[in-house]
Amino acid sequence: MSKYLDLSIREINDLLKKKEIKPIDLVEEAFERIEENAELNAFITLDKEQALKTAKELEDREVDNVLFGIPIAIKDNIVTKDLRTTCASHILDNFIPIYDATVIKKIKEKNMIIIGKTNMDEFAMGSTSQTSYFGAPHNPWDTKKVAGGSSGGSASCISARLVPLALGSDTGGSIRQPASYCGIVGMKPTYGRVSRYGLIAFGSSLDQIGPMTRNVYENALLLNVLCGRDENDLTSSHRESEDFTRMIGEDISGMKIAVPNFFISDIVSDEVRANLEAVIELLKKRGAIIEYVDIDYIENAVTLYQIIAMGEASSNLARFDGVRYGYSVADPKGVDELYALTRGEGFGEEVKRRIMVGSYLLSGENAKTYYAKALQIRKAIRDSFLKTFEKYDLIIGPNATTTAYNLGEGLDDPLKTFLDDVLVIPVNMAGLPGMNVPMGFGKNHLPIGLQIIGNKFDEAKMYKLAAFIEKELNLDLDPREVR
Amino acid sequence: MSDMLTEKEVLHVARLARINLTDEEVMKYRIQLKQLLDDVDKIKDVKIDDDEQLITPIDEKAVLRSDEAGEMLEPEDIMKNVPVSNGNFVEVPVMINE
Repeated sequence: MSKYLDLSIREINDLLKKKEIKPIDLVEEAFERIEENAELNAFITLDKEQALKTAKELEDREVDNVLFGIPIAIKDNIVTKDLRTTCASHILDNFIPIYDATVIKKIKEKNMIIIGKTNMDEFAMGSTSQTSYFGAPHNPWDTKKVAGGSSGGSASCISARLVPLALGSDTGGSIRQPASYCGIVGMKPTYGRVSRYGLIAFGSSLDQIGPMTRNVYENALLLNVLCGRDENDLTSSHRESEDFTRMIGEDISGMKIAVPNFFISDIVSDEVRANLEAVIELLKKRGAIIEYVDIDYIENAVTLYQIIAMGEASSNLARFDGVRYGYSVADPKGVDELYALTRGEGFGEEVKRRIMVGSYLLSGENAKTYYAKALQIRKAIRDSFLKTFEKYDLIIGPNATTTAYNLGEGLDDPLKTFLDDVLVIPVNMAGLPGMNVPMGFGKNHLPIGLQIIGNKFDEAKMYKLAAFIEKELNLDLDPREVR
Repeated sequence: MSDMLTEKEVLHVARLARINLTDEEVMKYRIQLKQLLDDVDKIKDVKIDDDEQLITPIDEKAVLRSDEAGEMLEPEDIMKNVPVSNGNFVEVPVMINE
């Protein structure tokens, strides 16, 4: 079997330019790897026929950019024209989108090749991808462990080296936490950085699409392509595009980095804390200034998330009514029955739970007691973060309190999924960019990830620190060698 | 305080959400929704003075796009995903009582 997909994207690009390999070699290798690793259950839908066809068509084209011909996997909540998009739900398991999300258009313009749609928690609601209607994806470091969630399939396929690039989405940590569990690099950009047009909405004021990759540099390359104002998403930013790789390799001495005390409190396991402390020592030794800070209300972020994300979800998911698309119950007696039976049968347990709680929290007086108050505290959290960034370049901490845990664990506990995300949710509340870069391994040789949080639109600076840490630690992040 | 919602309370919430539940689900959600709602109740104890709210974390002023016809979807494409249709019409059960 060829091993082109073990090369860096720069190396692959050189081979393509010199015509030593063709895009179809990469596509065939990706499908061989996917078939050999079927047990990971990383994909919901594969698109082999179209991928091979696209690869063939690219043979006569000039290799005009570094991502040309590179296979990419797409989280299954991002719509792809003529390619089934399920959101890992029964209610959409026959849904064929009739348009491309803006990020998909951009990916196609750069001639990346879409391999398939990755497994996830149903409607991105969960922290382990176990709420998927199609069964959970597995962690390549230990297939009895969860891959994390909700972008678990994307994290699993990158970690296992099935494809070099993937897209995830992050509403309350859904890129960073699975990236942490699987030992890969994942970026949730600043809210507004990437268009959400075509991302099936969960929590509209929190959702962002972002890149998931094997290393920092390639992550920045993919983000370069995804950004920009989109007339179809009025919350997308007007900022000019920029090269996110531009600060990679710069010296980090003199950087001022804050560590929130909450991120080293006793909610974090000893082995995660030990890894973080080792990174802090390394950074100090290399001239960075590290100080410990408090972020106001950060300990309340999970509660805010429960209210805001479930509230927004209950409203967003009202569109699944069995009328225009998706699953629809046969022969309903009246329109009320059409809605209630379609949704009762079409949605899974976690999704129903969240829609019901969200509907309740927004109903009548509750909207004031819960939702309005949550928005007040959300404002205070954001203000506190922004104030911290007046003094510091970046904030660091862990992404997850532990390493990946056993499949099947915590399924009947409606609170566990939120507590798994206690360290990643604050970033979504504040609309800031956050990322994962691997920083070590726990006692079972499961990956532990570092979270880097930046000021709004400061992704380039985050990549600078992440690339420094990646280079200094030089971890062996290929799980095939331990399995 | 009970550690379960009543059946009536669960059915009320399910009705708000337009979700039909099986008897088994009602039983399960009596416990689980109570756990979630108790957890969410923590917000009542949080003290905050500033009443300014953050609905969306964007700083840029929202501008409307120009009112020009853009790329359109074709009706036959839109109809492809419709569960029950009749020509270019979406069929639903009778909504007005006769």
